[in-house]
Amino acid sequence: MSTHTAPVERPLWNPYVAGIGLGLVLLATFVIMGFGLGASSAVTRTAVAGLHAVAPTYAETNSYFSQYFGDAHILEDWMVFEVLGVLLGGLLGAYSGGRLKFDVQKGPRISVRGRLGWALAGGVIMGFAARLGRGCTSGQALTGGSTFVLGSWIFMIAVFVGGYALAPLMRRQWR
Amino acid sequence: MNGLFPLYQKGVFEYPAAMAIAVFLGIGFGFMLERGGFGRATILVSQFYNDDMRVLKVMFSAIVTSAVGLALLGGLGWVDLSAIMIFDTFLWPQVVGGILLGVGFIVSGHCPGTAAVASVSGNMDGLVTLVGIMAGSLVFGFAYPLVEGFYESSAMGRQHLPELLGTSWGVMAAAVTVLAVGLFLAGEWVERKLAARKGVEPPKSDPVLRNKLFAGLGVAAAAALVVSFVGRTAPVTPEPAPLALVSADDLADRMVQDPTGLFVVDLRDPGACAARRLPGALCLPAEGDLGRFFADLPATRTVVVYGAAGQAVPAEARRFTGRLLALDGGFAAFHGRYLTRPVLNAAASASERADWTKRNALYAHFTGSAAAKAPPAPPRKVITRAVKKGGGC
Repeated sequence: MSTHTAPVERPLWNPYVAGIGLGLVLLATFVIMGFGLGASSAVTRTAVAGLHAVAPTYAETNSYFSQYFGDAHILEDWMVFEVLGVLLGGLLGAYSGGRLKFDVQKGPRISVRGRLGWALAGGVIMGFAARLGRGCTSGQALTGGSTFVLGSWIFMIAVFVGGYALAPLMRRQWR
Repeated sequence: MNGLFPLYQKGVFEYPAAMAIAVFLGIGFGFMLERGGFGRATILVSQFYNDDMRVLKVMFSAIVTSAVGLALLGGLGWVDLSAIMIFDTFLWPQVVGGILLGVGFIVSGHCPGTAAVASVSGNMDGLVTLVGIMAGSLVFGFAYPLVEGFYESSAMGRQHLPELLGTSWGVMAAAVTVLAVGLFLAGEWVERKLAARKGVEPPKSDPVLRNKLFAGLGVAAAAALVVSFVGRTAPVTPEPAPLALVSADDLADRMVQDPTGLFVVDLRDPGACAARRLPGALCLPAEGDLGRFFADLPATRTVVVYGAAGQAVPAEARRFTGRLLALDGGFAAFHGRYLTRPVLNAAASASERADWTKRNALYAHFTGSAAAKAPPAPPRKVITRAVKKGGGC
């Protein structure tokens, strides 16, 4: 019996192929469920569950968090299971593509600690932004975009504006 | 238009199957994101330095594929497009939320979905970003009293581009395809220019494959366009198909087994409804926009409407985007069967006895213990919740 070796790293897919594949998954979601894909709401829900474990009374009475308690909504539950799938699918993809390894993705001019600091800060901003904008690049841009929702297209354009506007200041981290 | 799809909205399966399907579709989503290169922050941020526009290419290929597919399947009558969830628009919160998300994207190198994929690929920056997103959404909740006013501002309701522009999904899908191909070609041109200036190789591309894929998307978009116009030669305002009916027996069972899975709406005048209605039923608003009332009911539940005998279902009820059923026989059918005390004839057969036992139990459930059990949670609160939550992300 030979010892197991992880697959060697293989190139990424052509971006248009990956995009069409992603679009077919999204289309299947609409055809089966009647709604699309998401990501941030499941992350928020996990955080609120954590908060609830520490401070149940506060979590249940806070006027925003309180919506996560009481009657379950299928859409919100669905997103949690979907993101569990995303984790499995991402793992499957990374393993089979030979890209599964402990690493920190960064530019050459920044320390690991500095990069992780920015990752945390950017995450906090995005967590806030996704709640304010009622979604993220998955729920608003992809899902709302492909169903022609005006607010989702505005949101998507705003994401690119925000990213491009700050990119020159973030050059040290990436280039 | 009434197609077989979306399956869930047409009642083909229920909650447990939906959760299993969620995992499978999520696996597909995560796998495609990983293959697209979205597990690596360094690839993602290259978009904003214009040297590798994978984000643009993957995102817009996905949007075009899904939009064209929906328009095509809808035009063919297989997918009931009126059952597809359309988010409400909140102009300024979405402008500011979008800009901040873009800022968070270039700072962290991820967006929420890709942070999940990066985490399971072993990229610690992705995991740290996920932790940040959790913290940021808690910050939003802590600050909610301060931001609530802005969060709820510029609520524009349903702003659906095909309706705003007076056109069909097919035309919109074709237009988005043209826009996307234009963006792809412009993006590749910028990539080449920038690479030439820096004296490096542009991102690897395969023009033959690319042209085949563009041609495929173009053909699909053209088909969606044709189908949408063929569909239009039918009467412009087709008579809506009659609602699917639910029997009083089935409704009673569902009200007992899954009270939070459905809303029951009484279509009779609010006075009659206030006096006597099905347990937990909502009355129509005495004033205000009836269409809005139905549009605001969360599409994730089933709505069952009933009226007086022979009362027509108002057209506004069709604004509800989820599964809509009508109670067979209206109020009288349910009232006669479950809200009046059943009488058992001494000479009843075994099956009549069984029927009486069931009716008697449900009668007690719906009326006898009404003070203690019914009505379930006040549904008004649920409605504001759902609207507040908004997007599916």
